[in-house]
Amino acid sequence: MRTRARTFPLIGTEPGMVLGTAVAVVNHRILRYALPAEHKLTQDDLRQLRANGAEFVYVAEPETRSDEEIAEDVAQAARNVLDIFADADLSDPILAALFEQVLAYRSA
Amino acid sequence: MSKHMVDCDVDSGHEDVGEGKEANAECGESDDFREYSDPLPGFPPIIARILATLDDPIASSELLLGYIEQQPVIASRVLLLAKVLATRKRSRRAIPDLAFATTLIGLNRTREITILSSIAGFIADIAPPGIAGNFWQHSLAVGVCSEQLALLCAPPATAPAALIAGLLHDIGQLWLYRFKEEAFITAWRQDLSHAAGIEADERERFGVDHATIGAWLAEHWWLPPGIGTAIRHHHAPDKALNEPLVPLVHVAEVLSNALGLTDGGVSRVTSISGAACRALGLTWDEHSRALFMRIEARMRHANTFLPRDALGKR
Repeated sequence: MRTRARTFPLIGTEPGMVLGTAVAVVNHRILRYALPAEHKLTQDDLRQLRANGAEFVYVAEPETRSDEEIAEDVAQAARNVLDIFADADLSDPILAALFEQVLAYRSA
Repeated sequence: MSKHMVDCDVDSGHEDVGEGKEANAECGESDDFREYSDPLPGFPPIIARILATLDDPIASSELLLGYIEQQPVIASRVLLLAKVLATRKRSRRAIPDLAFATTLIGLNRTREITILSSIAGFIADIAPPGIAGNFWQHSLAVGVCSEQLALLCAPPATAPAALIAGLLHDIGQLWLYRFKEEAFITAWRQDLSHAAGIEADERERFGVDHATIGAWLAEHWWLPPGIGTAIRHHHAPDKALNEPLVPLVHVAEVLSNALGLTDGGVSRVTSISGAACRALGLTWDEHSRALFMRIEARMRHANTFLPRDALGKR
């Protein structure tokens, strides 16, 4: 079954839900807790996430869009990012890296 | 008077602002500016008091509870969040009072709601009708990005101070708008077609830009110097990177634009300070996407409790 990730506040998350993306709770550069994508959450996971200050997780939900709709959504998101960076000097490697990551994030 | 002056004539329809002032007076130095900022509504004193008690959780809790008890709007938001939390935890226990509610949602979240509500209310009071909603949405986006960057990175800056600096980074724009509405709108529209940025147009038109005015306002409101410095340098941070909030707020604004967090607004990215990114230890790679996710989740959460329409429909 195809899935897509949806944000869930941790307090609304229940054991058995499957992570849509990996979780890495980082606070002041210290990795506090991590779980991989597609991991099925347990009660202990939720307790650990809460104890380490996590507030949201991305939970996998069934994908209801058709291939065409997904492609159109991705294309629109990419167009929006290109508009935002239209005047950016992408010869600057730091700005180019930010652009690439935002584009990849919006295209996921 | 300084040669770098801003024309402060007060004939833009805001008679209350300039009452008792000489028409076409000029002001550019901060002393002159203070004279003209007096008619502005007072900045919520709770903000400076929150910052002063960050290191003392007990004093901070007592301060917040005492304040919230006097503020029905904030109290209702705290109670609502507590009820949502209790429901999600499947607790059947009632929320007996505010003290219980603040304990349930925690000190950090109580502090955040108080900061957001107080500054949103202040902006709603001083922003001219029609722009409050967009202005708040951008301020909120930069505040949330600043807060999340402070939590991710390890600058000696606290998340609440970062949130406040981000929320106030463009407050100087409201001041320009109040005093010189038409000139400000013209500068803003020109900015849409210029790569130079709005601050260059503002300096040309007013002799001063909104970042400088915002820093004066922060000083006028007795906020910690680091917040004023961050506001002053948010477009050009490289000369003030020794102040931890400066790179935070600069990168936060670029990031909020890059992610297009101000819906209905015109998000645009033209540059970013590499020195500011290095000062924060930030590199943009596949790990950055977790930061993007957190920021967007926090924005959705904040908008749930402080809907943009509540300000925009004034």
